[in-house]
Amino acid sequence: MIALSVAAVLALFIIYTSIAGAGTPQIQPSQLAAQHGDVMLVGTVVPGMSGDAHQGGLHFTLEDDGPANAARTHVLYTGSVPDLFKVGRHVVVEGTLRNGVFVAKPGSLVTKCPSKYTPAKT
Amino acid sequence: MAALGRAALLLSFGLAVYALVAGSLAARQKKRRLALSAQNALLSAFGTTLVAALVLWSALARRDLSFVYVAQHISKSLPTGYALSAFWGGQEGSLLLWLLILTAYSALAVFLNRRNRDLVVWTVPVLAGVATFFAFMLCFVSSPFETAAAPADGAGMVPSLQNPYMLAHPPLLYLGYVGLTIPFAFGMGALLSRRTDERWLVATRRWTLAAWTFLGVGQLLGAHWAYVEIGWGGYYAWDPVENAALMPWLAATAFLHSVMIQEKRGMLKVWNMVLVALAFNLSVFGTFLTRSGVVNSIHSFSQSPIGGWFLGFIVMCVVFSVGLIYWRLPLLRARTKLESLVSREATFLYNNLLLVALCLTILWGVTYPLLTQAVRGTTRSVSKPYYDFFLHSFGLPLLLLMGIGPLVAWRRASLRALGRTFFIPIVAAVITGAALIAVGLGSSTPGLLAYTFSAFVAASIVLEFTRGTRATGSLTKLVARNRRRYGGYLVHAAILLLAIGIAGSSAYQTVREKGLKQGQSMQVAGYTLTYESIGTTAEANAQATRAVVDVSRGGKHVATLHPGKNFYPVENQVSNEVSIYHDPRNLGDVFTIADGIDRNGTLFLKVLVKPLVNLVWAAGFVFVFGALVAMWPDAVEQRRLAVRYATT
Amino acid sequence: MTLALVLGSLLAVVAVVIVARPFLREPAPASDRLDELGELDRLRLTLAEERDRALAALKELEFDHRTGKVSDDDYRAQLGPLRQRAAEALRALEPRAEATREVPRLQRDAAR
Repeated sequence: MIALSVAAVLALFIIYTSIAGAGTPQIQPSQLAAQHGDVMLVGTVVPGMSGDAHQGGLHFTLEDDGPANAARTHVLYTGSVPDLFKVGRHVVVEGTLRNGVFVAKPGSLVTKCPSKYTPAKT
Repeated sequence: MAALGRAALLLSFGLAVYALVAGSLAARQKKRRLALSAQNALLSAFGTTLVAALVLWSALARRDLSFVYVAQHISKSLPTGYALSAFWGGQEGSLLLWLLILTAYSALAVFLNRRNRDLVVWTVPVLAGVATFFAFMLCFVSSPFETAAAPADGAGMVPSLQNPYMLAHPPLLYLGYVGLTIPFAFGMGALLSRRTDERWLVATRRWTLAAWTFLGVGQLLGAHWAYVEIGWGGYYAWDPVENAALMPWLAATAFLHSVMIQEKRGMLKVWNMVLVALAFNLSVFGTFLTRSGVVNSIHSFSQSPIGGWFLGFIVMCVVFSVGLIYWRLPLLRARTKLESLVSREATFLYNNLLLVALCLTILWGVTYPLLTQAVRGTTRSVSKPYYDFFLHSFGLPLLLLMGIGPLVAWRRASLRALGRTFFIPIVAAVITGAALIAVGLGSSTPGLLAYTFSAFVAASIVLEFTRGTRATGSLTKLVARNRRRYGGYLVHAAILLLAIGIAGSSAYQTVREKGLKQGQSMQVAGYTLTYESIGTTAEANAQATRAVVDVSRGGKHVATLHPGKNFYPVENQVSNEVSIYHDPRNLGDVFTIADGIDRNGTLFLKVLVKPLVNLVWAAGFVFVFGALVAMWPDAVEQRRLAVRYATT
Repeated sequence: MTLALVLGSLLAVVAVVIVARPFLREPAPASDRLDELGELDRLRLTLAEERDRALAALKELEFDHRTGKVSDDDYRAQLGPLRQRAAEALRALEPRAEATREVPRLQRDAAR
């Protein structure tokens, strides 16, 4: 009885993942060059923004999170800009790399929950 | 004063260790005085932790910036209420809050059950073990009492957190998370003491219910805050931090229901032990997720000092729970078997399965990035479509079960009896479904199913109340005599409201975005919104820019909204200030966001029309009311239990 | 700083005293054995729970019947075995001949 239900759940799960695809890759600017297609770019916003997300597009630059290689990517974004978006924030944006510029899917910019959740800087 | 705080925490740690070690020894070797001593140590740990907490609160109230923690989370100009709430604004403080609530709960639980020596003697070391971990973290890894030269002013509190909902949300959540430790400890205590009776369930029933209620309300408050404050137009984003609270809540829901079966039929004992362990472990995992930032980026894992420790503790707890349950498995074997797949016992079993399945799929979704990173090297993540799929697959049947369960008889329900009791609810559902399709709401299948099932459940709940009232004579007498059952039905009604609100505001919402010049309008789902003017005013700590938007429906003016943005010079941040019109006609909202205002004065207005969304918040009130009814002490039942346990 | 020292020491002393209290109160007790539930008591407890369970099931059957959830046929079919179970549970706890006759009375008590 239990075994049957577990099997059913697993079946549902396998069907879903095989149809919908196994998640979207989340990558950092340093790994971007090797990727093709739609990805979720993760990084920290560095100083130097221009443009308007509603007219022409917002230009900003994302940097790798890790201390090692501070690779950067230029992002072009249109759509809603979340409240907490500012320099130094950790953000996620979905899109594709085109001619050296990461063109974001409109409205896909997400900032992670407020800074109170990040660990204290030691 | 920081030294006093550190000393108090060291004492808490020492007392917790003593309670753990001495308590375990006393339980194994049956030493009475040592057991009492361990118990006293656990109770004293509350006192010392309270002192530490008071030290931190006083530092916050006094704006003592020599405390690094205080300097990081408040500024001199922050109102006192928010300054005090900064206690749980950061990692160290929230760990202290966890320990404070844990020791308070432990002291109360142990004190109330002090005559139940058999059980308490093992419960004390389990509680002490959890307390030891948190005290250890506070003393040696993540202390709120670090001091440094006081800066000129503190870093201030993120503006979006300066909000009454954020005052209440973390403590309520913690009262819930930590509350799940009590039934866990008693359950493990029962296993350790080899007791096969249900004393531990009886002792912790109200604890579980209270913790579950706190957790539920805490989540609703968080969702409401996200809705009005963060203002992207939604209230739940399947963010790991949100899921962190949902998972233990689902497990606790399953546990709450499943124990009824053990109480009535002596079945599902293994399930209950597993569920309570799952709920507890998920709540610690939830704390870990929220506080270590591990899922945001795999890199913050290594930056955070607490990540590794927490993971180690969780692994230890899981191994302990699984090991103990497996070891005592022979004790938990039930003598009664499931008689029929169509019985109330069976519906509870399906309920368990669905809730756990939903919980595990969310867990999978949350840990997927971590696992793919570890296994493949690239992080992959899942998002809304994944969660929505499983929410529909498991949530809709759960909704239906809420209506089926109460109507099915125990042991074995004959199909004829089922047919009779189900007749009215099924008719209600079919009529509702047909009516909805007729008005065009068949566009969303999950939405339609949600509404149809809700009609079924609503009819079933109403029938329960009317039939019961007819049988007992009066509604108050009915509820007073069957508090748990009818309180439970009220909670089901709350969940129903929640489901309808969620379905309406997600499956049937309309979203539109447009750039408007002054005087221009846009049409959204029957509403006309006109951009009238714009202005900026100076507030206490911000520059507030607001657009004036006129809302009319069917030609008649219904509201004037003021969406805009605030600019905070001290924190150098911009926040979206949304403006919402609550339409009494459809209990929904017209949600406006001033996405952008360009130099030419063009307003980029994003409008979401969300039908029935206010039911989500209304559900919260019904939820609390129902839970209180279910929890309310019943003199008759107390007497009966006192008689039953008189000799122990 | 000295205030912190004094308060801290006070706190430590109080904590130690509370922890040591059981030993201070009874330096040489007659028995230091933790009284736990003996086999007999555990059995009684399990039986008492069984009894309460049977009586509660009877009460619920009555209620479900009155509210129409259980049909007359099902009610009649289940009443007998449930009463039997209740009687057995009572008998196990208190082996008296009159125990079986007490089931209806206890049912009424439980229904109030």
